Amino acid sequence: MSSNHKHSEPANPYLEKRRNGEETSELEKRVSDIEALLISKGIVSKESLDRMIEIYENDLGPMNGARVVAKAWTDDEFKSRLLQDGTSAIGELGFSGLQGEHMVVIENTPEFHNVVVCTLCSCYPWPVLGLPPSWYKDAPYRSRIVLEPRKVLEEFGTFLPEDQEIRVWDSSAEIRYMVLPRQPDQSKGASEDKLVGLVTRDSMIGVGLPKSS
Amino acid sequence: MNNLKGSQVKAEISLMGGGDSLPRKSGDLVFHDGWEKRAFAMAIALHESGYYQWEEFRSILISEINSSGETAANPKPEEPGYYEHWLSSLEKLLRRKEIL
Repeated sequence: MSSNHKHSEPANPYLEKRRNGEETSELEKRVSDIEALLISKGIVSKESLDRMIEIYENDLGPMNGARVVAKAWTDDEFKSRLLQDGTSAIGELGFSGLQGEHMVVIENTPEFHNVVVCTLCSCYPWPVLGLPPSWYKDAPYRSRIVLEPRKVLEEFGTFLPEDQEIRVWDSSAEIRYMVLPRQPDQSKGASEDKLVGLVTRDSMIGVGLPKSS
Repeated sequence: MNNLKGSQVKAEISLMGGGDSLPRKSGDLVFHDGWEKRAFAMAIALHESGYYQWEEFRSILISEINSSGETAANPKPEEPGYYEHWLSSLEKLLRRKEIL
């Protein structure tokens, strides 16, 4: 790592993996060749691709998962349905679709803290969390969170009590996990809308905790 | 349910932990370049139009990622990144379906 990095810059191996201009133009050409072919065959249209990108960038995201968590914090019956059958309880709030099938929601407790990974690729519950951040897809997280979860969580700034056991869950095509974080004590009695603002993406992956206020 | 307990997955992922530090919270850009978005959207659009099952795409993606041999202990910045793997997987699948 060169010393002229700004302090605010994360130590992210992915950022080192930037392509130079030539590589980028080759990749752009490969992609636009496929796109032109698919359009000429009438398989996709430019507009439908634009719309899809817009949905994945704007409509899907951790704000949906935050709604699910806040509802579980304020509605015990919803919470038990959520832990019983994640996919259908999440569907009640209108969130479903590709990579949102076979959802299992796991609850953090004083005894157990849960964290999610996909060791094989990047399985991630798109409807509730959006697209995964780059670190989730990269080899360091995918391997290290299994082998040294406590250390990795500490690198994310998450320090857990020694006696709280960390459980790591491996998402796959069959099951996609989402963490139900513990509600911060200070927030008991707050409205559902207020609670939504406390739920972070990282707390639903399990590498972080909700904001306390 | 697959609650992983250390050694159980070591064989599966053959990736050993190393001293390399993890990206932090702020490293969370989803797409870096425009072509990544187009490649991403095309793979989904083709699946949604019924040209293949998502699992078929996913299994090619897994083998593309595995073939890079990148590990925590041995990051390879010079090797292709996630969306390059995604693009190669899409090309392979389109050839398999005789679209490309």
